[in-house]
Amino acid sequence: MKYQIVIAGFGGQGVVFLVKVLAICAGNRNIAFLGTENHGMSQRGGSVSCDIKIGDFTNPVIDKNQADLMIALEKNEGLRNLAFLKLSGTLVTNAKDKDKYPELPFKGFAKIDAFKKAENGEFPIQGLNVYMLGFALVNDKNFPFSVQEVKDAITQINTKVAEQNIVILEQAMRDAKESK
Amino acid sequence: MKQTLMGNDAIAWGLIHANVDMISGYPGTPSSEILSEVQKIKHKLNLDIYAEWGTNEKVGFEVAYAGAIAGRRTCATMKQVGLNVASDALMSAAYIGNLGGMLLIAADDPGFHSSQTEQDSRVFAKFARIPVLDPATPQDAYDLTKYGVELSEKFQIPVMLRPVMRVCHAREIIEMDDETNFKPNKGEFKRDVPRWGAVPRVGRFAQGVEQLNRMEVIKEYNWDHLLKKEFDKCEGKNRVLIITSGTGYGFAKETLSDLNLEADVVKVLMPYPLPVEQMRDRFKSYDKVLVVEEPYPCVEEQIASPNVYGKNTNSIHNIDEMSKEEILKAFVNIGLYEGENIYATPPSLDFEVETRPPALCPGCPHRDVYYAITKVFKKKKAIYPSDIGCYTLAIAQGAIDSILCMGASVSMASGFALSDPDKTVVATIGDGTFFHSGIAPLINAVYQNHKFILVILDNSTIAMTGRQTTPSRENKNIDIKKIVEGMGIECMEHHYSYEMQDNVDFFREVKKIHADATGPTVVVVREFCILDGERAPEFIPNIFAKVDPELCIACDQCTTVYKCPPMAYNEDGVIEIDPFLCAGCGGCLDVVCPTDAFVQDFDYLKRGN
Ligand code: SF4
Ligand code: SF4
Repeated sequence: MKYQIVIAGFGGQGVVFLVKVLAICAGNRNIAFLGTENHGMSQRGGSVSCDIKIGDFTNPVIDKNQADLMIALEKNEGLRNLAFLKLSGTLVTNAKDKDKYPELPFKGFAKIDAFKKAENGEFPIQGLNVYMLGFALVNDKNFPFSVQEVKDAITQINTKVAEQNIVILEQAMRDAKESK
Repeated sequence: MKQTLMGNDAIAWGLIHANVDMISGYPGTPSSEILSEVQKIKHKLNLDIYAEWGTNEKVGFEVAYAGAIAGRRTCATMKQVGLNVASDALMSAAYIGNLGGMLLIAADDPGFHSSQTEQDSRVFAKFARIPVLDPATPQDAYDLTKYGVELSEKFQIPVMLRPVMRVCHAREIIEMDDETNFKPNKGEFKRDVPRWGAVPRVGRFAQGVEQLNRMEVIKEYNWDHLLKKEFDKCEGKNRVLIITSGTGYGFAKETLSDLNLEADVVKVLMPYPLPVEQMRDRFKSYDKVLVVEEPYPCVEEQIASPNVYGKNTNSIHNIDEMSKEEILKAFVNIGLYEGENIYATPPSLDFEVETRPPALCPGCPHRDVYYAITKVFKKKKAIYPSDIGCYTLAIAQGAIDSILCMGASVSMASGFALSDPDKTVVATIGDGTFFHSGIAPLINAVYQNHKFILVILDNSTIAMTGRQTTPSRENKNIDIKKIVEGMGIECMEHHYSYEMQDNVDFFREVKKIHADATGPTVVVVREFCILDGERAPEFIPNIFAKVDPELCIACDQCTTVYKCPPMAYNEDGVIEIDPFLCAGCGGCLDVVCPTDAFVQDFDYLKRGN
């Protein structure tokens, strides 16, 4: 298998947590992977993007036009990184309903206003990253791991908050199916 | 045993599995997690290891080096610019050598992700004449850490490990020792003044000769144990040979396979010293040899021959980090590839997105302090030298005019005060940087009566690199105010307040005092780091902000001068606060907005927070 995923967001959104979840999924199934984080000088609030390449790769960075999936935790961070996604890939993004979204040439595209849902109290805003992961699980039909594998990885990272995270994941999957 | 690890964690395990029992250094991205991970493992497994931060890299290096002289296995960690600080000690250590193994880890940052320079520590190893190992992946980093310690002990010379950011911060599944049978060594210093006492000339000349001989021996060792088998693997059926070092290997391999090309690839694990003759001999069977390495032409310069291509022949990019696109272009340049650029951005996606320039964290007290400084000391009549740390990000607020290297804010303040005496020089430095290298230049300023204001921003943490504790918080309370007073000058003190007017009033007072001063005016502002889980909750008032859209007149004040990340214009052209990011510091409610559009958001907690 070869599958390359870019996760884009800003500092404080838990981008690195998602990379860890995917890394553990791969590790548990004993599939090789290489991942890397990209955050330079930014602290909370600066752009962060992470790459994870699942399968037989020899460098951790995703080049332009190569990614199969991008999970964007915020609209502009997604748009900023579009060059890395290949045209046959899928973009899953959090974007406000009222925002205008450009026409994009990708095969797969799904967006949701997760900020609004968090503001309405549908899930705690700290869980936005897990929410978007759940949304991606439903919207990317080639997603390399099963729901159970993702849940196991979430539990492995931190048992204390796993239960809450899994509730958020399931809710995101329900919302994704409904919005289809 | 298989483990999913980040490169720096892999290095930490490598040190422990090599029985390294003294580690010191100074934090710096991308190296910082190495020492903190050792500390974590030490506590978890209850190991007898010394793993502590030094006040700067030179101190860190010297502590580790003395340990290695006394026969222990030691390590010093730092980033590439930190090695500049430690280089004085390194150059001498490279002549004198050691008894126990000493690994010097200098993490490079090709691509300037979080550094002022892109410098190549491998070249520094070459300059100092010590061997250097260049890992390509976290797995290599683990293996070469252990190997480097052994080599250092074998040849009695510090060995450098040079991982780059894409190794330090890369993650993969690693095969490592099943068990941790950590056996700390007992040090025993054996007096040998002619060896350990570096006085010129006779002894040093002899050591210089030894150093040259040692490099010849290690060159042969490099060929016999590492390089020869790499060359033997090549079938020589290809026209092109690619010589790689570090991450160059992974990038070159992937580009070849993406483009369906054939070429022999040799991975150099020890880029200095190189067995040049043996290597050149093998080049004869190829039309062209391409060197893929980053960031400087370190290998390329050593092996230069008419059929060797690289940075010095302008065949491959000379600046910025590795990417497959650059390697593809190099293949085109040397005539190995003629097809299309498969890594190009599709033209329809080439649009601009609003940037998110690096900024101080929401709720960070530095922002308010800088805001107050620029309100009191007006731009036209002031110069603001600053330093390296989180507060450097206040450059976005227009509150910083110069940044050079650790500690330079103070000495540059002296220089600006001397050269442009009509302006008020207001220098800023963090507590970590002050301890690192700000004290000596302040002594100089007192010594020579240079007139400027120095603001020491004391948040009691090395915040930029992951919140390592500063000297003031361990063991004894080392108080900056008393250090300054020890120099015979008064030190004004202010406790940061989220009510902006207090900060402004304090700096008005500073201005008055400074007007009558003849030498430096020093102030210490006691702050906290918003990400410091231990201390921040005591200080954050949990006053969340929102913007009254009727009052916002889109004057740009908050987005250009104050710059808290949650603030941005919305579709209706008024400022809105991103509730995901607001830290509840209340800092923007006072002074910042001319129409007082920022108001407290009492509903904030109801939003699931
Ligand atoms: S990490 Fe701490 S010191 Fe640095 S910008 Fe954020 S709050 Fe300020
Ligand atoms: S209260 Fe204001 S200054 Fe403080 S974090 Fe929120 S938006 Fe920023």
